[in-house]
Amino acid sequence: MSRRRVVALFRRVVEEIRRDRPSIALLFVAPILLTGLVAFIVREGSTPQVNAVIVTPAGPAGAVVGATLASSLVASGATVTEAADEAAAQAAVEDGTASIGIILPADIGTGDAPTITVITNGLDPAGDAAQLAEVQRAMLSAASAIAGTPLPTIEHETIYGTPSDDPITTYAPAIIGFFAYFFVYILTGVSFLRERTGGTLERLMATPVTRGEIVVGYTLGFGLFATIQVVVLMIWTLGTVDVPAIGPLPAFSIGLGVPMAGSPFLAFLVVLLVAIGAVSLGIFLSTFARTELQIIQFIPLVISPQFLLSGVLFPVSSLPPVIQPLAAIMPLTYAVDGLRQVFIRGADLAVPELRVDIAVLAGFAVFFGVIAAVTIRRDVV
Amino acid sequence: MDPVPGIPATTDPMIEPAMRGVGLVKTFGSVRAVDDVTFELAPGRIYGLLGPNGSGKTTLIRLLTGMTVASAGRAEVLGVTMPSRANLARIGYMTQSDGVYPALTVAENARFFAAAYGVDGERAVEAVLEVVDLADRQRTIVANLSGGQRRRLSLACALIHEPPVLFLDEPTVGIDPLLRVQFWTHFRALAGAGTTIVVSSHVMDEADRCDELLFIRSGRIIARGSGREVRDQAGTDDLETAFLRLGGDAEVTR
Repeated sequence: MSRRRVVALFRRVVEEIRRDRPSIALLFVAPILLTGLVAFIVREGSTPQVNAVIVTPAGPAGAVVGATLASSLVASGATVTEAADEAAAQAAVEDGTASIGIILPADIGTGDAPTITVITNGLDPAGDAAQLAEVQRAMLSAASAIAGTPLPTIEHETIYGTPSDDPITTYAPAIIGFFAYFFVYILTGVSFLRERTGGTLERLMATPVTRGEIVVGYTLGFGLFATIQVVVLMIWTLGTVDVPAIGPLPAFSIGLGVPMAGSPFLAFLVVLLVAIGAVSLGIFLSTFARTELQIIQFIPLVISPQFLLSGVLFPVSSLPPVIQPLAAIMPLTYAVDGLRQVFIRGADLAVPELRVDIAVLAGFAVFFGVIAAVTIRRDVV
Repeated sequence: MDPVPGIPATTDPMIEPAMRGVGLVKTFGSVRAVDDVTFELAPGRIYGLLGPNGSGKTTLIRLLTGMTVASAGRAEVLGVTMPSRANLARIGYMTQSDGVYPALTVAENARFFAAAYGVDGERAVEAVLEVVDLADRQRTIVANLSGGQRRRLSLACALIHEPPVLFLDEPTVGIDPLLRVQFWTHFRALAGAGTTIVVSSHVMDEADRCDELLFIRSGRIIARGSGREVRDQAGTDDLETAFLRLGGDAEVTR
C-alpha cells in the first residue's frame, strides 16, 4: 500500500465533497433538522384533549365513584358528559362527540376489584393509547381519593377494529402508503434526472411533445409500477399462506395476515393517488438536482419530515400544535388516514372522512402535476 | 463541392429563406452568448457554423430550434417565429450529446422519436436505420453500441420525420474518418433533396464540405461565404489561418 496514493485518494475525496455545497450543507442540516423535529414532537407533543363520556351504574357506590372519577378527569383538563347506558356511550364515541367512553360496572364500590370497560374509536391506536393513559391516571387519583378502593382492571374496547393486540394492524396501512410514495418519488426523480443530464430531455423538447404530455406519460409509466408494487404489497400484507412442514423444515406461513375491514380496491385507489402525486414531485425536485446523489439527498429534507408528521408513527393529534398545520399540507397525511379508514374502519365512499382524503389526494396529484409541467422549462436543461 | 442541380449555389432574393435571424441576442447574466446576429439562410444548402468552443454556435442553434428564448431579436424557421411547438415537426435536431436512451434498443429509440414527431412508426424506422447503416443492429441495447454507432442512431432520431430543416450540433465529434465521410455523403444527399442543413463544427477540414460558412466568434458572425471566398478575404489558402486572421488573432498564426 503506497502512502502517497492513499493520500492522493483521500485528498481527492475531500476536494470533491468540499466543492459539492449541497452535500456539505446536508451533512449538517439534515441530522440537525430531523433530530430537532423528533425532539420537538416528543417533548412538546400535545396531550390529547379527553372528552369522556361516563356511564355510572345506579346506586350510591356507583355515584360516588363516578363523581370522583369525573372530577379527577376535569381536574386534568378533560370534559366529562354522562350517558345513560353503554350503547349511548358507544354512539357518542362513534359520532365523535366523545373521544373515550368509560363504563363503570354495576358491582363497583363493593370491594372487589372492578372491571371497567373503556371504549375508544380504534382508528388511531397511538392516539387511543394516549387517551387511555389519561383516563388511567384519573382513575388512579380517584382510587386513592376513595379509601379502600382496589385498583380496577381495564378492559379496552374499540368501535372499529380490535384493540391493539397486534400493532401491525395499524402500522401496515400507513407503511404501504409511505413506501408507494417514497419509491415512486425515488424512481421518478432519478429517471427524470437522467433524462435531463443524458440530453434526452433536450431532444424530447425539440419534438412537438408538450410538457403536459411528458408529465402524463411519466405518470402512466410509473403508475404502472406503483400499481404492481401495491398489489404485491397488499397480497403480502393481507394474505396468509400456510406452508406445510417439508422434511426438516417446520411449517410456517407467508404473509402478515393483517385484517382488512374494507375494500382492497378502495385502499388501492388511495395508494395510487398518492403515488401519482409522487411522480410529479420527483419530476419537480429533479429540477433542483444536478446529480443522482442530490436526488437521494432530498430524502431527509422532503421525505423524512413527512414520515414523522403524517401520522405513520405519531398521531397527528399528538403533534405539537405549532406543527400540526404542516401535517395538513402533506399528501402522506391523507394517504395514511385514508388507508386506516379503509383497513380498520372498513370505510366505503359513503364515509365523509374517506371522501375528503381521496379528494385531497386527487387535488395534490393535480397540483404537483401542474407544478411539474411548469418546471420542465426549455431553458433549464 | 459542386452545387446540386436545381439548387442555387448562392442566395437568390426570389427564394423565401429557410431560416432567418433578425438582431438575435441571447445573454446569460452579463455574458452575451449570441450578440446581435442577423442572417438569412437559403433552402437546400449546407451551412457550416464554425467557431471555437464557447463561441455561441450551440446557443445560436438552440435559438433557432426554440430550445431557448431570445433576449432580443427574432429567430425564424420556414417562415415561423421560434419557439413554435408545431414548427418542431418540420425541424430535425441532433444534439451535441447523443440524447438517446441507453436502456432501450436501437429500434425502440427510433420508434419512440417517430412517435414523438407523430410519424408512422415501422416504415420510417426501417428506412432511417437503413440510411444510418444500423438496420442489422435493431435489437441491440444502445448501451452496448460503440460510440460511433450511438452517434449514427442519434442522427437517425433527428431524421426520422424527414424534416426540411436539420440542425446538427457537432455531428462528427468522436467518430472515425470513415464514418465521417459516410455522414457527409448522406448530408449532401439530403441537401440535394432540398433539406436545409446547419452543421456546427470546430473541425476546419469539414468546412470545405459546406456550401457556405458562417464564422462565429464571441457570439457574432465575423465572416460569411464559401470556403474559397473566406480564404480570399483573409488572403490565405488555409482555412484555419483564415479563421484566426478574421477573428483578429493574426499575430498568433505561424
